[in-house]
Amino acid sequence: MSIRAYLGCIVSVALMLTLNRATAVAQADFGVDLHGQRVRQLAGPGVRVVVLFFAASDCPISNRYVPEIKRLNQEFTKQGVRFWWVYPNADDTAQVVAGHNHEYAITGDTILDPKQTLVELADAKVTPEVAVFLVEGNGLREVYHGRIDDHYIALGQERPRAGQHDLEAAIAAALSNKPIPQPGGPPVGCSIVFLQK
Amino acid sequence: MKNFRILAFVPVLAVICFLLFRPLAETHAARSGSQSTEQSAQPAASETWSRDVAPVLYKNCATCHHPGGAGPFSLLTYADARRWAPQILNVTQSRFMPPWLPEPGYGDFADVRRLSDQDQALIKRWITGGMAPGDLKAAPPQPSYDTTWQMGKPDIILNVSQPFTLPPSGTDVFRNLIMPYPLKETHYVRAMEIKPSPASVVHHANVVIDRTGSLRRQHPADWQSGVPGMELLVDAGNRFEPDSHFLFWKPDTPALIEPQGMPWRIDPGNDLILNIHLKPSGKSETLDAQVGLYFSPDPPVKQPMLIALERDDQLNIPPGDANFVVEDSLTLPVDVEVLGAYPHAHYLGHDMQGWAILPGGEKKWLVWIKNWDIDRQSVYRYREPIMLPAGTELHMKYSFDNSATNPHNPHVPPVRVQAGNRSEDEMAHLWLQVLPVNTAANAPDPRLLLEEAWMRSRLSKTPTDQVDLYNLAGALAGQNKFSEAAAAYEQELKLGPPDARTLTALGAALEGAGQIDQARERYRGAISLAGQADSGGCDARFDLARLGVRHAEYAEAEKEFRSLLAACPEDAETRSGLGAALLGAGRTDEAVHEFQKALELDATDFTALYNLGAIAADAGDSQQAVKQLEAALRSWPASPDAHEKLATAYAQLGKLSDALVQLRTAASLAPDDAKIHSSLSQVLDAMGQSEESFTEQKRALQLDPQDADGWNNLGALLARGGQTDAARSAFEHALKIQPDHAQAKANLTRLAVRN
Repeated sequence: MSIRAYLGCIVSVALMLTLNRATAVAQADFGVDLHGQRVRQLAGPGVRVVVLFFAASDCPISNRYVPEIKRLNQEFTKQGVRFWWVYPNADDTAQVVAGHNHEYAITGDTILDPKQTLVELADAKVTPEVAVFLVEGNGLREVYHGRIDDHYIALGQERPRAGQHDLEAAIAAALSNKPIPQPGGPPVGCSIVFLQK
Repeated sequence: MKNFRILAFVPVLAVICFLLFRPLAETHAARSGSQSTEQSAQPAASETWSRDVAPVLYKNCATCHHPGGAGPFSLLTYADARRWAPQILNVTQSRFMPPWLPEPGYGDFADVRRLSDQDQALIKRWITGGMAPGDLKAAPPQPSYDTTWQMGKPDIILNVSQPFTLPPSGTDVFRNLIMPYPLKETHYVRAMEIKPSPASVVHHANVVIDRTGSLRRQHPADWQSGVPGMELLVDAGNRFEPDSHFLFWKPDTPALIEPQGMPWRIDPGNDLILNIHLKPSGKSETLDAQVGLYFSPDPPVKQPMLIALERDDQLNIPPGDANFVVEDSLTLPVDVEVLGAYPHAHYLGHDMQGWAILPGGEKKWLVWIKNWDIDRQSVYRYREPIMLPAGTELHMKYSFDNSATNPHNPHVPPVRVQAGNRSEDEMAHLWLQVLPVNTAANAPDPRLLLEEAWMRSRLSKTPTDQVDLYNLAGALAGQNKFSEAAAAYEQELKLGPPDARTLTALGAALEGAGQIDQARERYRGAISLAGQADSGGCDARFDLARLGVRHAEYAEAEKEFRSLLAACPEDAETRSGLGAALLGAGRTDEAVHEFQKALELDATDFTALYNLGAIAADAGDSQQAVKQLEAALRSWPASPDAHEKLATAYAQLGKLSDALVQLRTAASLAPDDAKIHSSLSQVLDAMGQSEESFTEQKRALQLDPQDADGWNNLGALLARGGQTDAARSAFEHALKIQPDHAQAKANLTRLAVRN
């Protein structure tokens, strides 16, 4: 575990500073799907917004967000939003993730990110965390990353229910070409197990 | 006695793993002790997982964090510790984990889960210092966790009627799963293990004993699928049966083992209600649960009781108020030992204090939680009982935060919040398990005094609370304060529509106060109010019939018992009551038949056993009498009549020492019963203990100076002791009371001849 991973979990200031990055990336090589096939395109025909949901099969908070991501997926798919379930941890092999997706009835697009390309692209630190990209030509521009909502304030501090739905607001804004509201607090969950570099 | 209460709660014992790993923990303790000084001097980490960290994680975390455990992930291996290191660091430094709310120094609790400062620092040094593995082969052996029952196979396993389906998402779920007790006989429970599955979605659970199956009756169509609600009220039935034990489960609870001599009772017809707090996991979960009970052959010899300080009546918390404070106090009427505490609030609770002021002014802390979290609530058992003498004032002071900045606030924006049993309502309770001590031999049940004090305290806050009035009346009636009890019942009746149950209880209080006609009138009122099939009507019919037996109105009693049998479910008490009416009327054979029927319904029915014993004794069948009366005393050990009758049977068998023991017990139970002292005198005389025999006879005559037989016996004792004049005057006294007393006449003649 690098120091970076440890900081990612607890230092929210660092996350906040990255919010203004507007990463434009060409679509190229984004990990593999559950069948081992390389994923070369995150968007596709008619897709205006791409959402990456960083998940870990063994992270309880990540798992508790599965229904919320499914809900948003259902709500926005027809409006040109494509959701990806991204598993960045090395222990989340194809077999593990397939089992996990079956257990949680996850049927959406799934990527294993063993090289953590998407983690770097989105600057994700924990699971669950999301990144929202606008599709611009052949590229993607990150307009939001961070928490899904304000249900969790810190490890051990949670609200009975979320009051502020940051991700939903960000997607809605992106679809209507409005300024993207940024997250009101840090993402809370399990640190991504970063590759030793 | 109607006795409504809010939940029964139970404490925890979480020592098994500690014991398993004691050598390691000690090794570590020695190390961490030396490290506390080097902590600041040497920040560079030299700790390794295998030597330093594993013992700490095994002792403090692994009870939940093991494969299949309640924790969401395992922490048994070095790889696990590395994988979860950022979270471990975060939650141990914030003290979110291990879960432990009480502030150290404010109550000395058993099974403290708080991480020591040394261990907290050690974890931080290890993680920030690079997480050295050390020699993995030299690591302590992993703790192993039994997936079956911790204490071996239970005597009985109760299952939920239907597994509960927990939805994948949404707010936390509070559910009451009802488990009927299936056995036909009473048992005493020395230990209980609750096994919810999957445990990972269960925050905590309380087991409530529903003595009357009241929750099941309230939900006849769908009780099998459980009843929603965070709190519940159950009907404790017609006995004084205060909740006595915290039956509480949290994720690291292996089994609830009650202290020696303190098992709790479970009867046929009881339900166990698993009041359970569930957290959705992201997928649909099927929650199943089993409760294993371990029986004790012996009934309790110590009777604890749960009492509560509470201030729900004042909970009316304005939105935005970050520091809404309520307080309560209660003065103890008897000496008690406090065994455990269960502070309880919902999502707005913040600072929760409980303390005691002793009569001399000394303050003893019971508990202080500075940052309440409903998700980590627990019962806390004291390492040593806290002795509090009568006159001690118990206090609680709770603050509530209904501001928008309280993250637990269920309302966004905040709204006015009052007391209630939904999770978004509030509560302000401090439950205590107390064991009355230093009770004098013939004092009333001290729990009745506690109940009286508690109900009076509650009524001082909410004077028109009908349940409190009912319970106060019950506590008074239990102390034979029948007139006061009747007044309280009358007061309760004025507050609401006529109620058959209260009328019945009022009838019993009036009967106790000697107002027989008024009692009869209330019983009849209850019967007509309740109708034929209602259980309230059946209780009133029974009491009315029993009143007939007690007042030798046997024909009337027989009629009432027979109408009871026609209108209400047959039970042993009705059969044995009918037997008693027949026996009183001299119809012994028919009475025996009814007593036998009663015993077929309940082999422990006291009335049937006692009367069959008495009939056998009168018929000279002393062996049979002893057998029946001993059985009767197992059902009701505190019956002076049964002890006295058993003494008679022993005496008939020539077992005078046994008879003496029984009579002494009877005298301790009913010290003002002249007949018992008279019998004692006779047995002592037969055993050659003249002096004591004389004392007992004199005591008997003090209590009943109109007993001609007693004066005759006293005369005989005096005559045998050579006190002729005193003997003569005793015989003459007997004849004054009863001029035709043949024995006194004969004795007087004999005395004259001797002289």
